[in-house]
Formats: sequence, structure tokens, C-alpha cells
Amino acid sequence: MTAAFRGLYRDFGVQRSVIAALMQREFVLRWGRRNLGFAWLFAEPLVFAIPVIAVWSMVRAPFEHGLPMTAFVWTGYMPLLLFRHITAGALHCIRGNATLLYHRRVTPLDICMGRLGLEALGNLASVFLSFVVFYMLGFIDWPHDYTIFLLGFVYTAWWSVAIALILAALSERWELVLHIWAPIGYLYIWFSGFFFLGEWLPLKVRSIALMIDPPFHCYEMVRGGLFGPRIQSFYDLWYLTYLLVILTLIGLWLMQYVRTHLELE
Amino acid sequence: MINLSGVCKDYFSEIDHRRIRVLSDITFKLARGEKIALLGRNGAGKSTLIRLISGIELPTTGTIERTMSVSWPVGLFGGIGPSMTGNDNIRLIARLYNRRFEEVRDYVEDFAQLGKFLSEPVKTYSAGMRSRLNFGLSLAIDFDCFLIDEVVAAGDQRFQRRAQEELFEKRANGSLILASHVPEIIRAHCSRAVVLHRGRAKEFEDLELALAIYNDL
Repeated sequence: MTAAFRGLYRDFGVQRSVIAALMQREFVLRWGRRNLGFAWLFAEPLVFAIPVIAVWSMVRAPFEHGLPMTAFVWTGYMPLLLFRHITAGALHCIRGNATLLYHRRVTPLDICMGRLGLEALGNLASVFLSFVVFYMLGFIDWPHDYTIFLLGFVYTAWWSVAIALILAALSERWELVLHIWAPIGYLYIWFSGFFFLGEWLPLKVRSIALMIDPPFHCYEMVRGGLFGPRIQSFYDLWYLTYLLVILTLIGLWLMQYVRTHLELE
Repeated sequence: MINLSGVCKDYFSEIDHRRIRVLSDITFKLARGEKIALLGRNGAGKSTLIRLISGIELPTTGTIERTMSVSWPVGLFGGIGPSMTGNDNIRLIARLYNRRFEEVRDYVEDFAQLGKFLSEPVKTYSAGMRSRLNFGLSLAIDFDCFLIDEVVAAGDQRFQRRAQEELFEKRANGSLILASHVPEIIRAHCSRAVVLHRGRAKEFEDLELALAIYNDL
């Protein structure tokens, strides 16, 4: 029993060191050799987010439903970026790096985790950097409950990685996934909770959303943590955790079968 | 020892929409220290067999046992990342196999003689440079058995001499499976041969006979 446990622990250690090596590689490939190098890790999502948020804040009234517009858009847009960037990195990410599979220690899952892990960490870092920028400019107040606020983003990242794992596995098998993912990516804006708060929804719609819509929970946590008692937020951390564990397990299970369908050079 | 028994490999053909058997019922053994040549025309399945032996692809049916450490397939493609520099590749492989970067780099620098090209992306390398880097890396990690797919032929005289020295003088007990079309290279490195033809394999103790048969295929 202890031997088995020790073996598992050692395997886990091996996987961790492999994933760390792959993340370092991914880092160097993406940001290492260019002008600003690693500053892009933080700057890239900001270049995207700042103009969008600026335009939104200009075309809408400064306060809507009693909430500051910029803060509302920021809490809508940053989780969306997180989800989009992480899932975009997943499509065909294994065949793109198939040469790494020549090393027997590297599994398709390691390749995904190297890519997705870096994407998640980079985007989370940029979320917090942009928070600091917007906070210092006076557009966003200090979160009312920063644990829930942070946890909202961490759970958004987890949700994105879980979906990304499933996408990574399925896209290796069926090209169709690439085609249907584009429209789903747009529809996501509407059902994820970008544009609405739970308290604006009719009771029936809200209970359905809480049942089947993990990002809705995440958005409620981010906004509940930021705005505090100014809004009534609806989320269930345990139920969300339960949903994400199931999604992650589905992703890991699908990942096992990637190798049989993968053709190496 | 490496022991293949009844190994078959099918691929799915997108054009014909059916399974195509690339290798069928391959059975042979390789003991520690043995050096064998893999002969066969283009498309005979040499690279596929090497990938199966290395364990990066799984056979459709049959089993492959390994009781020694086996290298990755050392060829022109695979194993090293083309958009990464030589040094980045060295760093990654050192970390993947738990070796110290400096040690691996010093060895590869000495073996491959790539000089300042180590700081350039591998996609800018010539075939010979690529082979030297890939081969040097696998020697630096030091396996019991090396799987070499054609790359020795891409190297120049000096490289072939170094390869000979590393594989024979320094590693008399090392095993080798070498796929090549060049008889001189096979004679220099191998003691027996497996000839692949139409997905089947035949073992020959007599290297010259194997080469003669391969010539007539």
C-alpha cells in the first residue's frame, strides 16, 4: 500500500517536472526571443482589454443599475478573455507539438497542461495587473470581499482549463470541433454572464442557470466579491466545484484515447 | 533485451476509408550489445517499426518487451523542436531526462560541433546539422539501445567517424538498431540485419546476404 502510494507520488513528481519543463519551453517559444520578451505575458491581454473597456465605458452611461460601468465591463470582459485565450490554446495543441511525444515521458496530457497552465497563469497575472491599473486610475474600487473575488477568477480559469482539455482531446479526433467551436465561442458571451447579474434574471431562468451554467457561478463570485452588498449574488461554490471536477475527469478520460488516434511524423 | 512478438500495426487510410496493415506479425529479439540493421525500401515500414520499438506508438496487436533503456527515434524529424534554438532543445531534453544542462550542452557542443548555431532555431539548420544535434543529444542522455533512423548518412566523414567511435569503442555493450540505405554505413555499424518487405520482416545472421536480398527487392 505504501509502496503503491510512493510509486504514485514519484509518478506525480515526474509529471510535475515534465510539465514544468514544457511550460518553460512554451514560455521561451512565445515570449522569450522578442523585443519586450516576457513583459508581453502581461501586456498582451491588456492591449486587447483596455480599448474594449474604454469604448464600452464611453458609449454607455457611467452608472447602470446602480453599478459603475467600467467596473461592470471589466468584470465581464476579463473572465471572457481568460476563457477565450485558454480554450483557443487547446485546439490542435497536441498535434502541433507532436514532436515532443518522441520522448516517452511526455504524454499528450503533459503537452496540454504545459500550454494551458502557462496560458492560465499568464492571463490570471494580466487580470490582476489590469485590476491594479484600473484601481489606480480610480475606475474600480477595492473588492469588498477579495477572497471570493480571487476565487471567482481562479474558478473561471479552472472551468476554462477543463473545457480546454475536452476540446484538445476532441479536436485531435474530429476536425468538426474546430468549425463548431467558433460559433460556440460567440454564443458563450451571451450565456456566460458577461452582460447580466443573477439578480436581474427571472427566478426560473436563474435556477436553471445555476444548475447548468458553471461560468455563471464564476461571474457571480467575481462580481459579488467586487461589489459586495451593492448587488445580490448567486452562486454555490460546492456545486460549482462538483461540476468542474466532473468536467475535468471527462477531459482526463478523453485524453487517454488521444494517443491511439495521433499520427506522428 | 528487446523482444518483439507478433507485432502488427494498422493505420487508417483517409482516402480508402479502411485500415491498412503496415507491419504484420513481426517477431525478433535484440540482446544487449547487439547491433542490427533495418533494411527495406522507402515505405517498407522501417520508421514505423522504430517508433513502435521506442514505445512512442503502440502496436495494434502483439507485444514489445524492453528490459533496457531505449532512445527516442533519432532521425531528421521528431524529438527536437524546429522553432526552438539548439540550446533550448538541449535545455528541454536535459530537463525531461533529469540531466544537468551544462553537462548535456558540453557533450553536444563537442560531438556536434555546431558552435554559434546552437543559438539559432533548428529550422535554419541543414540536414547534417540537425542529425548531429539529434544524435548528439541521444548520446548525451546515454541509453542502452539507440534507434537511429537514416541520420548517420546525412552526416559528413568526421561525423561518421565520431558516431563509430561513440557507438563501438566507448559503448561496446550498447545496442543499436540502424535503418539505412547505405551499405557502407551498415557494414561499419551492424553485425546482422532485419529486412522489411511488404509489412513482413525476415532476420538474417549473414549481413552480406541481407544486403544482397535488399538489393534485389
